[in-house]
Amino acid sequence: MKSRIAIAAVAALALALAGCGGGSDGKTEATGDGKSFEFWSFTGINQKASVDEYKKTHADVDIKLTEVGTSVETAQALTTALAGGKVPDLVLIQGDDLPKFVQQSQNFYDLSTLGADKIKGDYLDWVIAQSTAKSGSIVGIPTDVGGMAVAYRTDLFKAAGLPTDRAEVAKLWPTWDAFITTGKDYVAKTGKPFVDNAATSVFYQAVNQGPQKYYDNDGNVVYSTSAQVKQGFDYAIQAAQAGITAKQSSFSNGWSAAMADGGFATIAAPSWMLNTIRSNAPKTSGKWDIATIPGSSGNWGGSYLAIPKGAKNAKAAWDYITATQSPASQLTHFVDSGALPTTPSVYTDAKLTGLKDEFFSGAPTGEIYTKSVQGLQPFVIGPDTSAIGQEFQNAITNVEQGKGNAATAWDDALKNIKTAIGK
Amino acid sequence: MTTTLSPAPPKATAPGTSKEPIKERLAPYAYIAPFFVIFGVFGLVPLLFTFYVSLFDWNPIGDHVFIGLDNFRRLLDDPRFYNAVRNTFSIWLLSTIPELLIALGLAHLLNHVRLKWAVFFRMSMLVPYITSVAATAIVFLQLFDRDYGLLNWLLGQVGIGPIDFVQSTWGSHVLIAVMVAWRWTGYNTLLYLASLQAVPREIYEAAAVDGAGSWAQFRRITIPSLRPVIVFTIVTSTIGGLQIFTEPLLLSQSAPLTCGPVRQCQTLTLFLYEQGFGQFQFGYGAAIGVALFVLVVAFAGLNFFLSTRGRTDK
Repeated sequence: MKSRIAIAAVAALALALAGCGGGSDGKTEATGDGKSFEFWSFTGINQKASVDEYKKTHADVDIKLTEVGTSVETAQALTTALAGGKVPDLVLIQGDDLPKFVQQSQNFYDLSTLGADKIKGDYLDWVIAQSTAKSGSIVGIPTDVGGMAVAYRTDLFKAAGLPTDRAEVAKLWPTWDAFITTGKDYVAKTGKPFVDNAATSVFYQAVNQGPQKYYDNDGNVVYSTSAQVKQGFDYAIQAAQAGITAKQSSFSNGWSAAMADGGFATIAAPSWMLNTIRSNAPKTSGKWDIATIPGSSGNWGGSYLAIPKGAKNAKAAWDYITATQSPASQLTHFVDSGALPTTPSVYTDAKLTGLKDEFFSGAPTGEIYTKSVQGLQPFVIGPDTSAIGQEFQNAITNVEQGKGNAATAWDDALKNIKTAIGK
Repeated sequence: MTTTLSPAPPKATAPGTSKEPIKERLAPYAYIAPFFVIFGVFGLVPLLFTFYVSLFDWNPIGDHVFIGLDNFRRLLDDPRFYNAVRNTFSIWLLSTIPELLIALGLAHLLNHVRLKWAVFFRMSMLVPYITSVAATAIVFLQLFDRDYGLLNWLLGQVGIGPIDFVQSTWGSHVLIAVMVAWRWTGYNTLLYLASLQAVPREIYEAAAVDGAGSWAQFRRITIPSLRPVIVFTIVTSTIGGLQIFTEPLLLSQSAPLTCGPVRQCQTLTLFLYEQGFGQFQFGYGAAIGVALFVLVVAFAGLNFFLSTRGRTDK
């Protein structure tokens, strides 16, 4: 009896090992036919809609779409896959995760060799610049940008005696100083927080509004001397100290709850945030509106489609990119699901400019968001951009929570960044 | 297993007994082979590879540059490492001690001879253990929320101002410790209970006849007879507790990899993950892994030594 169990155990092990081998064999068989490809995306961006749309006109193409997880998890899975050598044919990479991959561009197809050099003029320069390696190799084609605006609660503004019309609201805050002053005014009248948090809604936006962020044009790290960074940081510290923030970190439970019950009256809202507000606070429909962000331009988010070097069906994947990311397709995608096109040629199209969002009091979202990305000045994004940004945001949140010392916050942040990235 | 099928291994290898068929002599090794093969492939090789990687500046999708012990030098100078060590031990102490004490008490109660619905109570101990950590974290985060949490609402009723459990250092440690203890208390209770049931009832009855109360019975019978399993749970809780990962990862939604803006609850495993998979510094991450390995071995050994010493004294 017992010997039989042992034999069974050994047999099971053998099967398990054989199973591993079998799996890889199966993959090799299905490759290279040009009619099927594997596509990794992340959740919450509804790539399935694009895939289904594509299948309508390309019935013979078999697309295996996998939603790996969040954008960060997808980038991590891609890293593992690249290190291990078993890669998807097509992958969606979020803008913040992109620089690490662009820096190691040898892991990806240079899309110019497939024809990207002919269509790159269709996209916003500063967007495609972010997916272009130093060698000139194009790693990714941009699928969307976030743009930037401020979503605000008209009912709460009215109760505080502030104007509610979006043009007049925009006049309240041409600059971040004015935004903070408006916030103080609101808090004085209502006793309630004005904006969700300082790190994301103030710093993260203000620091993106200028020609030089953490790197200079030659790729040197200049975060400690950049006037733009210091200015954005100071605005955020001022906002935190003025007591106008709800101290709710973006995407936390408390943040979602506060969004629904009026825990803050304004929030920095890239175009994709509108869906987050809609799903977090369905009962606030019609109570929101959208105004221009202080400084008038900005961007948060946006993704790219890339083809890893080891892809077996690079051609099929590239055909998919050209079909779904043409200006006309991006416009259709925008009208259907709200991701802002990266192709400026459609920014004047009536379908885009005429789009109004009733949840946000009929705000012309197409017009507002395209304006915010057209005024944007390009800056160099480097491999440590996200690590640097995280440390700055941490320092601000720490002050906001009442634990950090505002006077030393900047120096503390610089010290932490030096520890983190070694420069 | 070996005794039923073949003689004890030492005899089999001793000279003079070699006339036993070779099959018989190899059988025991075949029985244990599956474990060692699987452990070798999924345990030992990755472990050794981690030691190897820790000597490199290792970009998973770029260059691998040999840098000797530089990662370890950097680690010893890194305030984030000491912070993670502090957090890990703080959370481990806060969770393990109450967890094992409560488990001990519960096991004693559940072993009571007059307990009705004993099977129901014993089985329900396992419910937290089989609940996924992610689900546990979501529920606890809502209970402990600063503005909308039930606990802070209750505290508010008695005039204690809202405590921000996620953002404060002590608060976050307590919150994680509660989650860990909630999950593992039942499991340890069942381990204790299982070995308590092997203690003859007569001993308790005799003690009762001699006038020993419940506390005396607990101290003089339950604890001594549980000593081996207590040592076992202390060692496993040390190994597990020093590797707490999921709970801190799920705690801070704004900065998950650092468990908050000032790394207030970033544990060693989370620090490893942040460096390895957040920053893609595999070499440095591996060095943290090696440091963690050394710490776990040292403390599991120390705990084993401390918790078994009492017995050798007698």
